[in-house]
Amino acid sequence: MEHLNIVIAGAAGQGVQSAGEILGKTLLRLGYHIFITQDYQSRVRGGHNFMSVRFSGGPLAAPVRRADYLLALNEESVGLRLGDLGAEGLAFCLEADKGANTDPRLRVLPDSLGPEAARGEKFAAVKLVSMLFASLGFQPDILAGSVKKMFEGRLKPEALQANLDAVAAVSGFIGAKDVRPPAFKPAPSPDRMLISGNDAVALGMVAAGIGVYAGYPITPSTTILNALGTVGPKLGIAVEQAEDEIAALNLAIGASYAGARAACGSSGPGMSLMAEAIGLAGITETPVVIYDGQRASPSTGMATRTEQGDLLSLVNISHGEFPRAVISPATHEDSFYLAAEAFNIADAWQVPVFLANDLGQAGSESTVGEFDVSRVRIDRGLFAPEPAGPEMLARYAVTDSGVSPRAVPGLSKWLVSCDSHEHDEHGHLTDDPANRVAQHSKRMRKLAGMAASFPGPEIIDPGRPVCVIAWGSTVGPLLEAKLLLKEKGIDFSVAVFRYLYPLDKEKVREALNGFKRLVTLEQNYSGQLGKLLRMECGVETHAHLGKYDGRNLTVEAAAALLESGLGGKV
Amino acid sequence: MNCSGRYDFNEPQWCPGCGNFDILTCVKEALCGLDLKPQDFIMVTGIGQASKLGFSVKCNLFNGLHGRALPVAAGVNMANHKLKLISVSGDGDYYSEGGNHFIHAARRNLDIAVFAGDNRVYGLTKGQASPTSSPDFSTPIHPEGVGGKPVNPALLALASGATFVARAFSGNKPELTGLMKQAIEHKGFALLDIMSPCITFNKVNTFGWFRQRAKPLGPEHDPSDFDAALSLVSRAQETIPTGLIYKTDRPAFDARFSALKGEAIAVRTAAYSPERVRPLFEKFK
Repeated sequence: MEHLNIVIAGAAGQGVQSAGEILGKTLLRLGYHIFITQDYQSRVRGGHNFMSVRFSGGPLAAPVRRADYLLALNEESVGLRLGDLGAEGLAFCLEADKGANTDPRLRVLPDSLGPEAARGEKFAAVKLVSMLFASLGFQPDILAGSVKKMFEGRLKPEALQANLDAVAAVSGFIGAKDVRPPAFKPAPSPDRMLISGNDAVALGMVAAGIGVYAGYPITPSTTILNALGTVGPKLGIAVEQAEDEIAALNLAIGASYAGARAACGSSGPGMSLMAEAIGLAGITETPVVIYDGQRASPSTGMATRTEQGDLLSLVNISHGEFPRAVISPATHEDSFYLAAEAFNIADAWQVPVFLANDLGQAGSESTVGEFDVSRVRIDRGLFAPEPAGPEMLARYAVTDSGVSPRAVPGLSKWLVSCDSHEHDEHGHLTDDPANRVAQHSKRMRKLAGMAASFPGPEIIDPGRPVCVIAWGSTVGPLLEAKLLLKEKGIDFSVAVFRYLYPLDKEKVREALNGFKRLVTLEQNYSGQLGKLLRMECGVETHAHLGKYDGRNLTVEAAAALLESGLGGKV
Repeated sequence: MNCSGRYDFNEPQWCPGCGNFDILTCVKEALCGLDLKPQDFIMVTGIGQASKLGFSVKCNLFNGLHGRALPVAAGVNMANHKLKLISVSGDGDYYSEGGNHFIHAARRNLDIAVFAGDNRVYGLTKGQASPTSSPDFSTPIHPEGVGGKPVNPALLALASGATFVARAFSGNKPELTGLMKQAIEHKGFALLDIMSPCITFNKVNTFGWFRQRAKPLGPEHDPSDFDAALSLVSRAQETIPTGLIYKTDRPAFDARFSALKGEAIAVRTAAYSPERVRPLFEKFK
């Protein structure tokens, strides 16, 4: 894929974010396709953070490691990131940050350049982006427009002017030999959006008709709380920062019981706290959507690093047996549609539905076509016809599908009783053995129906002897690595799982039938999807390629894993 | 008016003489007195003998997890802020397992009447200390006494921002019923701390013990005076004052949301179309 990759590196608080935002928005307006990833530490100031802004004339679904440009906002970043810069690449920094670096790819901006008011560290980000634009052969007024658009209202007029002066002063500094316009052309489209995985999830929830959302701040899921909280007053969505994750899910369950479409979100640490209430949703058969932005390690782990380590936990979380669903978007675009569909699954089957994302996808951004709203449907599932007068609903009436008609208390003449105990058809506690068997088997029957209603895996390039199985943010890098490896004579099919649990044994076996080798590529140690396939479908996977350093999976890393794992065996 | 029969439901299974019987009688009388029909309110309960009261009232019921009735109630309130909410449970549920939720529900001023039966012991699990047990209370786990300092529910509620705090004794039914009605009618977080004997597992704080100490507040107490309320509930005294301790007006939880103006979200949900998301696309272009 013809592209350019720009790395912006510095300490937290130095403007890596603003520089990336300006760059992203400007490239979007110029008509490029973009993929942006963040690599940051859990701190407000200092440390070493970087952002990769990759752009191209065609769609991008993955980050790459090799950089064409490095914008280093401090001396440390020059040293730490030059290693990823291609031989033909260029690095930009201020004079003060040059240190002892003598790399021939480094271009140092003299402090004396530009007006007095626009000197010093504060202007590093905007100046280095200006150098970049000059090197890319873009007109300086394009950048000035973006700076104006982004900072107008955020900065005092004199500070905004200083930024604009800095852009103008620096743009002429790049020498003719460093001017290298992209080899590819933009492909403008008025409907293109640059969006993060979490923002796409939030929009999907809005499209689905969400009424109540709750969460407790945690990386990487806080951005959904922010997004829904911000639009809530205008769209009529009530959003609450709960006292803890336990409360967040109990709150969503209460809201769902009272008739709203409700969700909550967190990451692994919050899932562990929610375990108790997940079982409550299970036994009370309350539809609820639970977003898990997976991050690395058990316990607090690496708060700002990615992993796909929660799958088997989500399949089993909370004590006892009850049905639940686990689905996972493989792209930013998927994130919108699957977030919306999660509510239909929850309502149709009256179960907790996990929308399992990973930090890498939650926080990265890419360009997508405007979401097709007509593809979203809202289906609230089975409701009981209104009775003549107030009476107790047989909320847990035993049915073939396992799904019992519900009613909204307060909006219906039905009186609705839901109970965390084992209960009878009317929702009142009993431990009668015959009732237990009837109610428990009724609930568990939903699993087969749900599995049958879910699509099987998507098979890409079928018919190869080897099939690589993946889910979540692994899919994008895998598919691009596949193109690179094909040139090396390594070819394989790919199976993408979006509907992870429950699995329809026959559907999965049929999809994976005929391959000589099944290999999982997942961002975890143990190959959790592989284990799940064996457990649920009796499908034997032959090898697992795991990555668990917490960093975003790049095309290069995926290719290296696949080459060493498959080389000579395809 | 006697319509309390309209709420009759499953026969409760408490020990004869349990204070919960009186609480149940008063709940039904209060509901009847306010003419709240079974479909007009939602009862949220937790786990423990006190919470089992919900199964004996014909109404909408959400019997949730131990200690976690109040966050469920907050969710109900967000989905339908027009519904009356009543929570019934006990000292272990609200102040131990659910302590954090209790504090935050009061802080938010969630519009709910909380009927907290306090028997100073765990009945359902057969006789362990509760957060309100006195320091010298002994149990097989605590043969040398519980120690520490018992939670003071009224003081905790006042400190957490409750806008209605009252105390009653299950043995004084007219007062209890009257306070229940006031608590249900109050717009905001109303704690009704109900002294209620456990005749089986608490041989110290018996019916007689409570009856001897419970003393209705006189007209000299001004429930609009926060300092007076604080002083009243924190003072060590021979008697335990009952009645309305504190009442004030502060915007309730739902007043914070413009999403909760007018029709309930649960009602509006039916009219939602996926098109509502479209205006949000612009920000990403």
